[in-house]
Amino acid sequence: MTDRPRFGLDSPLARRDWLRAAGVGFGGLALDALLAGETPAAEVKAAGPLAAKPPAHKATAKSVIFLFMEGGPSHLDTFDPKPVLNKLAGKPLPDSFGSVITPMGESRSALLASPRQWKRHGKSGLWVSEWLPHTATVADELAVIRSCVADGINHSAGVCQMNTGSILGGRPSLGAWATYGLGTVNADLPAFVVLQDNQGQVVNGPRNWGAGFMPAVYQGTRLQGGAEPVPHLNTPEGVADAQQRGKLDLLTRLNRDYAGRHPDQTELDARLTSYELAFRMQAAAPPAVDLSQESAATNTAYGLDHKDTATMGRNCLLARRLVERGVRFVQIYHGAGSKWDAHAKLESNHAGLCRSMDQPVAALVKDLKQRGLLDSTLVVWGGEFGRTPMSEKGDGRDHNPTGFTMWMAGGGVKGGQAIGTTDEVGLRAVEDKQHVHDLHASILHLMGLDHMGLIYKYKGRPERPTLNEGEPCRKLVTG
Amino acid sequence: MLFASAAGAGEPTREQAEFFEARVRPVLAERCFGCHSDAQKKTKGGLVADSLAGLLAGGDAGPAVIPGDPDASRLIEAVRYATEELRMPPKAKLPAAEIEALTAWVKMGAPWPDAKLKAGRPGGKITAADRDWWAFRPVVSVPPPAAGAGWARNDLDRFVAAKLADAKLTPAPEAARGVLIRRLTFDLTGLPPTPEAVEAFANDAAPDAYERLADRLLASPAYGERWARHWLDLVRYADSDGFRIDDYRPDAWRYRDYVIRSFNADKPYDRFVSEQLAGDELFPGDPDALVATGYLRHGIYEYNNRDVRGAWATQLDDITDTTADVFLGVGLQCARCHDHKFDPLLQKDYYRLQAFFAGILPREDLIAATTEQKAAHALKLAAWEAATAAVRAEIAALEAPYRVKAREDAIDKFPPELQAMIRKPAAARTPHEHQLAELAYRQVTYEYDRLDKSLKLADKDRVLALRRDLAKSDAVKPPPLPVAFAVSEVGPVAPPTTIPKKGATPVEPGYLSVLDESPAAIAPVSGVPDSTGRRAALARWLTRPENPLTSRVLVNRVWQQHFGKGLAANASDFGRLGDKPTHPELLDFLAAKFVAEGWGVKALHRLIVTSATYRQSATHPAPAAGRLADPENKLLWRGGVRRLDAEQIRDALFAVTGDLDLKAGGPGVATGEPRRAVYTKLLRNNRDPLLDVFDAPLAFQSASSRDTTTTPVQSLLLINSPTLLRRSEAFANRLKRDEPADDPRRVSRAYRLAFGRAPTAEESAAAVGFVAAQTRRVDPTKAGSAEAAFVGGKMPSRDGQAADIKLGGPGYEALLGDAALKGDFTVEAYLMARSVADTGAVRTVAAKWDGDLAKPGWGVGVTGKGSRRKPQTLALQLVGTKIDGSVGEEAVFADHHVALNKPYYLAVAVKLARGKTPGQVTFWLKDLANDDEPLLVATVPHTVTGGLVNALPLTIGGRTGPKHGTGFDGLLDDVRVTDAALTADQLLFTRDGVTAKTAGYWRFEAKPGVFKDTSAMGRDIRPATVKTVVAQDTRQAAWADLCHVLLNASEFLYVE
Repeated sequence: MTDRPRFGLDSPLARRDWLRAAGVGFGGLALDALLAGETPAAEVKAAGPLAAKPPAHKATAKSVIFLFMEGGPSHLDTFDPKPVLNKLAGKPLPDSFGSVITPMGESRSALLASPRQWKRHGKSGLWVSEWLPHTATVADELAVIRSCVADGINHSAGVCQMNTGSILGGRPSLGAWATYGLGTVNADLPAFVVLQDNQGQVVNGPRNWGAGFMPAVYQGTRLQGGAEPVPHLNTPEGVADAQQRGKLDLLTRLNRDYAGRHPDQTELDARLTSYELAFRMQAAAPPAVDLSQESAATNTAYGLDHKDTATMGRNCLLARRLVERGVRFVQIYHGAGSKWDAHAKLESNHAGLCRSMDQPVAALVKDLKQRGLLDSTLVVWGGEFGRTPMSEKGDGRDHNPTGFTMWMAGGGVKGGQAIGTTDEVGLRAVEDKQHVHDLHASILHLMGLDHMGLIYKYKGRPERPTLNEGEPCRKLVTG
Repeated sequence: MLFASAAGAGEPTREQAEFFEARVRPVLAERCFGCHSDAQKKTKGGLVADSLAGLLAGGDAGPAVIPGDPDASRLIEAVRYATEELRMPPKAKLPAAEIEALTAWVKMGAPWPDAKLKAGRPGGKITAADRDWWAFRPVVSVPPPAAGAGWARNDLDRFVAAKLADAKLTPAPEAARGVLIRRLTFDLTGLPPTPEAVEAFANDAAPDAYERLADRLLASPAYGERWARHWLDLVRYADSDGFRIDDYRPDAWRYRDYVIRSFNADKPYDRFVSEQLAGDELFPGDPDALVATGYLRHGIYEYNNRDVRGAWATQLDDITDTTADVFLGVGLQCARCHDHKFDPLLQKDYYRLQAFFAGILPREDLIAATTEQKAAHALKLAAWEAATAAVRAEIAALEAPYRVKAREDAIDKFPPELQAMIRKPAAARTPHEHQLAELAYRQVTYEYDRLDKSLKLADKDRVLALRRDLAKSDAVKPPPLPVAFAVSEVGPVAPPTTIPKKGATPVEPGYLSVLDESPAAIAPVSGVPDSTGRRAALARWLTRPENPLTSRVLVNRVWQQHFGKGLAANASDFGRLGDKPTHPELLDFLAAKFVAEGWGVKALHRLIVTSATYRQSATHPAPAAGRLADPENKLLWRGGVRRLDAEQIRDALFAVTGDLDLKAGGPGVATGEPRRAVYTKLLRNNRDPLLDVFDAPLAFQSASSRDTTTTPVQSLLLINSPTLLRRSEAFANRLKRDEPADDPRRVSRAYRLAFGRAPTAEESAAAVGFVAAQTRRVDPTKAGSAEAAFVGGKMPSRDGQAADIKLGGPGYEALLGDAALKGDFTVEAYLMARSVADTGAVRTVAAKWDGDLAKPGWGVGVTGKGSRRKPQTLALQLVGTKIDGSVGEEAVFADHHVALNKPYYLAVAVKLARGKTPGQVTFWLKDLANDDEPLLVATVPHTVTGGLVNALPLTIGGRTGPKHGTGFDGLLDDVRVTDAALTADQLLFTRDGVTAKTAGYWRFEAKPGVFKDTSAMGRDIRPATVKTVVAQDTRQAAWADLCHVLLNASEFLYVE
């Protein structure tokens, strides 16, 4: 039933009629634009709080795709080779490293070797382990930041901070800040979209993409594939189309009367409009998530034909389709529910997760580039932290927020470079440290926003996305 | 210019920075940024004034500032109004002092301190000007002005009338009675007025009809439920931890009930404040005062944070931030890291305030009962303890080695320094060490609660047997006394408080320096020797009649909730960043009166709601003047129209259908229950979708006001969600009961219930016409009644909708015939049990069996508490042919405890015996609320070779046949059955979807339909009692549609 008209507007004519009937009194709505095409134009300007706003400075990234490897992937087994670690393997962390708080308390456990085979890739010669053969083919697009630092030692705090800047809940997520600062160019789709690879709950739940203390209009919308990508998008089963139309006609009449009786309340016009926005979303969302329009070659490239890669492939492909349609911020959770959290059996855990993610992610970067979208789309890859050089339970690694790797590509980022270093065993960032606040400042900067200039007044106080800290990383653009 | 910072004209001196922050930045911010701000994206004339770079670059006409040369600077030219063509700000010339400040600043070279530098307040000094800020000045009761003659009903109105007269505005007339009662009832009780109440009020000719209505509403229990909600927003109240494990706080609700009771009893506000901050110190032995200290406990908590030092600091910061917001109404939070940039709030002040709380010890073992109740309980408990001493000793002995191991394992996870603290005897710890050790030790008791998991089989069987023995004495065991979610103190000496990163400067308790720079006088409190008395001192200071903040803040909050906006707009920030009060004299008048008359909140309500100001109509007969002079209605020249808040909408949805259960108090209930929203469990990471979209606060920090957003997501939920469809049907059913005649009288009833008024003739005709037309539009073949019987629910930690199976209900069934699930098979589901049987009876998750031990079939379920073999665990019952050729029942059990109200994934894979080789049942169980919990597995042999085949339907959540009491109680979701014994890597938990062997997969989602089989088999389910799908009653469906429209209407969602 995917193509069933929603809101019961079963023919173009009926829809026109309904829009005309309903449109009278819709405050400031571009009804003509809507009526001009049979499907709503791809980019309809938003009004109100989501209206598109100019950036503070020239943006190199119009959109962001944040690939969140939830649970904390090991930097030591992906992008940050540590030969010394393998030499010291089996011995405890030397005392010179000082004290470490780890969640599972094995801070003095033996160092665990990384049995990876490392090779340099691309013209830039970036190191990538054999677990990521596809990612290695886009090495020249990547700025690999090996010196990331976060504050939370547990998942909840870590995921919360990577999303909101704070290890404690309650603040707006980065996508919400970007939406607040820039608005949206396509009112028919949510400006900030979240996808995840399984039905499990991301640590902390939906508050990760929440608007915190800002109005809910800026929060992320969890999008699911299929016939109902947004909750309650469709006319309920059992309600006939004409029946739904009948209800909406009467509702429009009642609401128009009420708004007419209270001319000083502009909010009442917004409520009338909200039903029409809902209707437009009904029209725009299903085609946006309909992957059947993609070529077989694209499907294969993203790995949709293989069971290991199909889920992440679908999400990456969806992300590209959303960005094409002007969605501002897309976040994909891979391994939703801390699946990357390899306290034990890291080899089998990471091998499987890398396999399921590697090809789709590389395909996304290539696809964006080929379509000319990579110049205006920033792709960010990483988790809430990395993993310890010390072993846990013999064959796993504990959480490590003191030094880990993320990468960025596109959106004005200079590819083919590694930024920052960790110490000899990969425990702590030592050079060009990039705290989460710095990473956020960089992402916002590339989007044309100044992390100190982007202010939301809450309880009368100026709130900023990076809690007044952080600096954009110059090297990301200059190399 | 990429990444270049703003150009600066050299580093300003401290004096220059101070001058800039005190005299120049506020002027620029207040007078210029509105039109010239980079941050706010307002760049009129191309000029931005919020950076020096912006001013130096200037606008279209050239540089605005030439450092050192005021006369050549266009900024100065503009503010001086020197020429006709350049006058800024355009509306009115600045006061001379501000012009002088700007001029002086340009003359000294326009020094602009970097925003990231410490603010310009020198050495933490407070100036006379600081003390003169309105909020810090003593409250002075000004006599009401002689204004508003003929309109004013009380003194409050005279203040409002004076301001209106100044602005040459006139107030709107009094609103109609129907409007007044709806406004007042929603405002004071959070509920819509009943049609009967509306009618009675309309017909009440007495001159004091309105005043009596206000008194009646203030006296109703619903008043406390409504106003407690405002307070709960402020104190970040929730029922869960708010971290990765969003654990339920089983006793937090007692605080919520305490707040409700306090409002209803009109507890004086000074007492209310004192109880929450220091109830244990000031009112020892008073159970209510102990529960009140839950205020200090509502911050978030992470059960497994090994950084205990950091976690404790976070808790203290949370209490400090919240207290400053709630009681002081200042942005002290900003001063945690540095002196406040705009207000005289020093970093030192933050830690002085924190020091009052330095001695607290979070407790979950304090009993909120009177001495007599405790004594009576102890007596009964002693009898029970004597009767059970031997059994309990044996259990303890069996568990002892496991306990030691659990304890040691848990302690080992902490850094060595902390391990040492925990292992020290309590007496040898410093107060701070004791706090940390106690906090850390929670992680040990957490493991104790999970001890059963590690017990070896023989020990476990013995322990279970002993527990059954123990349960025999339950009859003589007294019910537990109420436990308070509360605090006590670590002892008479508080741990030191220091300012971090400032060489750890020690700080003594003290108040805001701007009000009192000396250290607080702390005295021990009588009767509580193990407490510092610090919080008692804070409470006394806050509730002194002359404290300028406490009363102003509270009075302003009450005003804010009545009018939508406070007299001072930022209700939790009276500093320079907030707006100054619109009616400062009125605020002081109310604050002084409030204190003088004994801090009574109800008297304040009464004064406000009986005023002419409050009673104004939202429409003004001559609105032009007001629209021009005061479009935001700050001066209150008319009433307002406000969207109901989240809880009001939810409660009204139940109230208009007559389903709202007005039972007061008690533990939180699930969100779908028809209790008032204030009584539903508020889980931080699993929010109710309706409350969420209508802007309920997050409860992570104090919230002083709510957003009112208008979004398409709200509209979709209102028009398409099953929840609203069900409410609409219930509304239509009520109308049918109330007005059996299918005619305009029913429309009238609908309007009166939903909008609090009768429809106009035109509206009535339109509604009647709608029902007639809609009856023809409803498709009678669309299954209405069966799906209407479906009750959905939200399982925590899961997406989408689950089936809510009520105890005693028959559950759902799918007709499989004898084609499936007779060889090897697997049953999977997500479940959350609300209860299990007290007996050993198995509550069925899924079955193909009628419970007759002589007839073939099987059933999967959860055993009861009284199970002789395995209580409260997964069980599979098989009736078929065994290896020895006999036919009969065999029951196998998993060993995993199924806790109540916890979401799980479960799977039972049955591999039948082959020949003489025994078969095998594999149980999997995964606690979804805790990602750290593994997917538990248990493999149990059995001897059934087959012969399970029958023609019965597959039932979900109940069993077919005459035996009752076997139905499930709780939520079930994503039930999948497979014609094969699945292996670990094929489970639904890790591998979503269907396979060729899938015999049915029911997901209970509105799409493609709650009863749809999403596998290729097309085996849709139906409620087990509904044997045939009844065609929809199209007429009743049309009435439900009318109801649905009314519940979507602005008039339902707004109050004027």
